[in-house]
Amino acid sequence: MAEIRIENLNKSFGGVQVLHDVSLTISEREFCVFVGPSGCGKSTLLRLIAGLEDVSSGRIFIGGKDVTNLEPYDRQLAMVFQSYALYPHMNVRENIAFALRTAKIPEVQITKKIAEATRILQLDDYLDRKPSALSGGQRQRVAIGRAIVREPIAFLFDEPLSNLDAALRAETRVEIAALHRSLNATTIYVTHDQTEAMTLADRIVVLKDGKIMQTGSPPELYDNPENVFVAQFLGSPKMNILDAELTGTGIRVLGQNEVVFSHGFSPLPIQLGIRPEVISLVSPDKGLFSGQVTLNEFHGGSRTVIAAIGAGTSVTLQLPTGQSPAVGEHIGLHCDPDNFHIFHANGERLQPIGRNH
Amino acid sequence: MKRRMGPRWFVFIVAACVMNFPVIATFSTAFKSPREVNRNPSLWIEAPTLENFVTVLTVSDRLNVYHYLWNSLTASLIGAILPMIVAFPLAWPMVRRGYGRSILFPAIVNLRALPLIVFAIPVYMMYATVGLLDTRLGLGLILAVVNLPLTLMLLVNAIADLPQELEEAGRMDGARTGRLLYRIVLPLCRPALITTFVFGFITAWNEFLFGLILTTSDAVPMTVGASFFFATSGGGVQWGVAAAVMSVAALPPLLLGVVMYRRITGSMVAGAVKG
Amino acid sequence: MAKQYKLENAVLASPTTFFLLVILGFPVILSLVYGFSETSFETLRSPEFSGLNNFHKVTTDDTFWQAVWFSFRFGSITAILECALGLALAVYLAPLTQKNGWIVAVLIIPMIVAPAMMGLMYRLVLNEFAGPIPYYLYNWLGWSPAFLSPQNVFTTVVLAETFQWTPFTFLLFLTAYRSIPQEMREAATVDGTRPWRLFWKLELPLMMPTVFIAAFIRFIDGFRVFDNIYTLVGAGPGGSTTSMSIYIYETFLRRGEIGKSMAAAILLFAAAFILLSFAQRLMRRTFR
Repeated sequence: MAEIRIENLNKSFGGVQVLHDVSLTISEREFCVFVGPSGCGKSTLLRLIAGLEDVSSGRIFIGGKDVTNLEPYDRQLAMVFQSYALYPHMNVRENIAFALRTAKIPEVQITKKIAEATRILQLDDYLDRKPSALSGGQRQRVAIGRAIVREPIAFLFDEPLSNLDAALRAETRVEIAALHRSLNATTIYVTHDQTEAMTLADRIVVLKDGKIMQTGSPPELYDNPENVFVAQFLGSPKMNILDAELTGTGIRVLGQNEVVFSHGFSPLPIQLGIRPEVISLVSPDKGLFSGQVTLNEFHGGSRTVIAAIGAGTSVTLQLPTGQSPAVGEHIGLHCDPDNFHIFHANGERLQPIGRNH
Repeated sequence: MKRRMGPRWFVFIVAACVMNFPVIATFSTAFKSPREVNRNPSLWIEAPTLENFVTVLTVSDRLNVYHYLWNSLTASLIGAILPMIVAFPLAWPMVRRGYGRSILFPAIVNLRALPLIVFAIPVYMMYATVGLLDTRLGLGLILAVVNLPLTLMLLVNAIADLPQELEEAGRMDGARTGRLLYRIVLPLCRPALITTFVFGFITAWNEFLFGLILTTSDAVPMTVGASFFFATSGGGVQWGVAAAVMSVAALPPLLLGVVMYRRITGSMVAGAVKG
Repeated sequence: MAKQYKLENAVLASPTTFFLLVILGFPVILSLVYGFSETSFETLRSPEFSGLNNFHKVTTDDTFWQAVWFSFRFGSITAILECALGLALAVYLAPLTQKNGWIVAVLIIPMIVAPAMMGLMYRLVLNEFAGPIPYYLYNWLGWSPAFLSPQNVFTTVVLAETFQWTPFTFLLFLTAYRSIPQEMREAATVDGTRPWRLFWKLELPLMMPTVFIAAFIRFIDGFRVFDNIYTLVGAGPGGSTTSMSIYIYETFLRRGEIGKSMAAAILLFAAAFILLSFAQRLMRRTFR
């Protein structure tokens, strides 16, 4: 296991620059998730680390060694692909053994390693089958098995759960987390799904348009997003972002009454962020804001309610299922101002702001 | 991942030159004057001239290249278009209804593997009886047979690639089979039809054996006509003129093929692999 | 449901069946008749039945067996050479073709030229007076082999055929090679597989079906070769390049032995048919 360090990485394809000056250190044994919308460069970044693409400029260090110009087969990494990329003409046992045979490891040891991997991943019944005779989830485990036996410096996962159906995805996610705990290996995991990022990561790296938006542990990013993009990317339903302004005495959201709030700033246009789960339903005359319900969705364990609060703005609330305001009803919305996230009009967090946590 | 391209280019150039050497040499010889041809057998042309082409392209007692070209053109057109007309209505039920899957389809496709000589002589006899010997029609008919297997395979592939929803929509709109085929399936197959035609035309044009056996003077195609120039007639072979004739003979398929190469390569692979 | 379409299917198939019956059916009957009778060009309309006489003549003719052996050797050697060369070129040049599609066009030119024309072109190219090859060989090595001598002519025609048809196998293999999923290659590379092992253990096995098909097609085409050999050397010095097809042609046209040529043609047909069915059964079993 080793740490992976990236210095000032830039990557362009043709005339299009996909990664801008990305620098990052992934600690030994850390589970690091690259997350972001399509086209943000997360897969490209992973492929640069793997050596499947050449960098345009910048350097990559694995365990302190400069690997920027090394071919993939010299970097001692293992990768699990989105489509698993199993060798169709070999059975499971041969698939897993292939890399070991390449390294000319003695057969006795190979048999031992395969036995170990199949035990961990419960592949015992499938060893003689070819990939075409396996289900998606089984193929996935073979792909992981192939990676494990090599005992690489780090594991790279490229959206491994995308090709699975929802139920299997949740199950496999748990398995991957357990695997990381038992192997305690440096892992880089790429996904566009913020739930996977939040549940699996020791550290999340949020990317947008080829730049790092923020890195940190899931609670750090969730509780202290540094910009509107990260704030809205993590958490479902998304954080409400309202156009507002800081007045001399507090915060005023367009179309609503002013909320008294002490802050140390002169008047300033801002974006106010409030997570749906911290807003509670109160009678229309109480509460910080008032609005009219436009949508009421039942989600089994909770309700999502959207209320229009004037000036074309809507606020999403997450309520217990018992509270069910009718569409068209006037309601009051209340939350503790400690839960406000305040950002500049340009999306960057306003610092410092008086808050408890 | 890095790949060294330099050596690959070198290999490409060597391979291209070696395999295309006869073509290059023929074109080079065609532009040499008769005097130069015997004196200078290298690829370099000392005094390029169009003499040979002039000889070839002017009508004379000995040679009327337009006659051969015309024969090749008509016979090849028949040989390329007729199989398409005949195979198209057959291809559709083969794909959509599995018609003839066990006997007819394999039988036609396997025709491709049979040595043409096996047909050539009996066909000669038959043509002799019905008076089709030495006719463009006769030649075209047998060329159509030669092209039938591949034409059928290509059309079957083309129809199989069409989404069935389109035909179902047509049926919902009241179209019976005939109208369905003519107004919906056929237009959708246009790219494949072009490819099939090009492939069939080139194959027909390049055919030699049937031209040799089934024609004597009226319907001699270009490939056979060109070979006449290699029969030594008194003063030995006139290489310059012969080369010019071959250049003219080889030109139409070359132009068609190279221009359409993307289409051909797609169909050639499909036809060969599925067969 | 399928029953009601029976008539319609027959109607749709009728142009083809009619066409084939007329153009091929009659000749097939004719060849059977003539194969089993004594005929000459004068007595075309009134053949005399002679049983297996013709077949006996064919099978006791040394030239016939020579031709069979020639076709067999020619077909197998050219198939092997074309597959080996085509495979090597396809794999090695594949990266080039991704950005430069035109190189494929250049490489398939030999295939588009008529085989008969190619044979004539080789005649020119190898001619000791007007041909570039002897010229260059004399200049560089001071020596040039007699390409069309009895010892060398087989090699010459094999090479001519190989150079003309390698583009075909090249094309087939290039397509097969490019259709291998790139992710599989990437997975192997990250796992430490170097290029040669990648080819030998992963890419080649996946291309084997195509290799068999290509070899099979080229063998059949080589077996029944006529055009380019005939225009290049005809029957060859001492009949040494008489392929099966040339044998039948010569027997018919040069020697006017109609019955014998028909019998040979029937034998050839039967052999080709058996080979074909056998190969198809083999392929079906291997790949299902």
